[in-house]
Amino acid sequence: MINVSNKIIINTLVVFLFGVQFFIYIFNQRPLSNNFIQKKITVENFSSIVLSKSGITKIGSEKLNKIDDDNIYLEGISFLENREYKIYGKNILIKLKEEISNSNKPVKVINSMGTLKANGFENLDYEGIIIFKGEVEFLIDQ
Amino acid sequence: MINKILYLILVSVFFSTAYSDSYVKARDTLIWDSENKNYTANGDVEFKNEKFVAYSDKMIANYIEEDDKEVFTVVELFENVVIEFRDEIFKGNHAIYTKDNNIIILTGDVSIQSPTRLLTGYELIADIDNNKRILNSADKDSLVEVLLENDKNN
Repeated sequence: MINVSNKIIINTLVVFLFGVQFFIYIFNQRPLSNNFIQKKITVENFSSIVLSKSGITKIGSEKLNKIDDDNIYLEGISFLENREYKIYGKNILIKLKEEISNSNKPVKVINSMGTLKANGFENLDYEGIIIFKGEVEFLIDQ
Repeated sequence: MINKILYLILVSVFFSTAYSDSYVKARDTLIWDSENKNYTANGDVEFKNEKFVAYSDKMIANYIEEDDKEVFTVVELFENVVIEFRDEIFKGNHAIYTKDNNIIILTGDVSIQSPTRLLTGYELIADIDNNKRILNSADKDSLVEVLLENDKNN
């Protein structure tokens, strides 16, 4: 009688343990395959190239701050150069994913028509549009 | 000596800006649309080329690329348009200048003012190369055509 009772208890225990293991297997999260790095990376006297719709753009600055994988902040004197324009300014934010760059600091731009000065800009690279803000003066080459 | 050099530098910088042959100035924004090949200027716009100086609230200038250079072909001016050409002043609500034929067409409450006359109408066609002005009224009933005396500079 005791043996039968022990068997029932052991079997119940085994079934319970299997059940627990089954729940652990179902609800356990997989180990993360990506490492999420939230570190802010800063590089001084930096220059590099960025590929976008308008082609290759060379970027550079006194100090580059990588905010995250999609956002770069060019701190201090900075530039963006490609086959269509050369933009010289300060404190330029680049959103790589959206292909947008902007600054609220004075900017000087040289293109194939002339030289432009403004108090800030927003470059919607994916649309081929640059909005120059504030007092704008565009001297046209002859 | 240093003061003189500084003075010369300042004067040269001032004159290079003030007397540049062509420029666009705007108080608010200048939008460069390289896809549609145009510039849009907003707010107290001032446009100068080798022919005239124009003022307006808004300007859209279309351009083409020639020999790796951008060249304005059609310039359109909106609201409170004032164009100064030699001793004449053209005013209107809208103007369109075409570089190919050097013709300015102004519409809407147009006036043409010179030292000797002031004419008003609805539409002014100013043919710069041929020194000819055509002023139409709104209903086209009256029409004034003025062929200016060719001066030696033209």
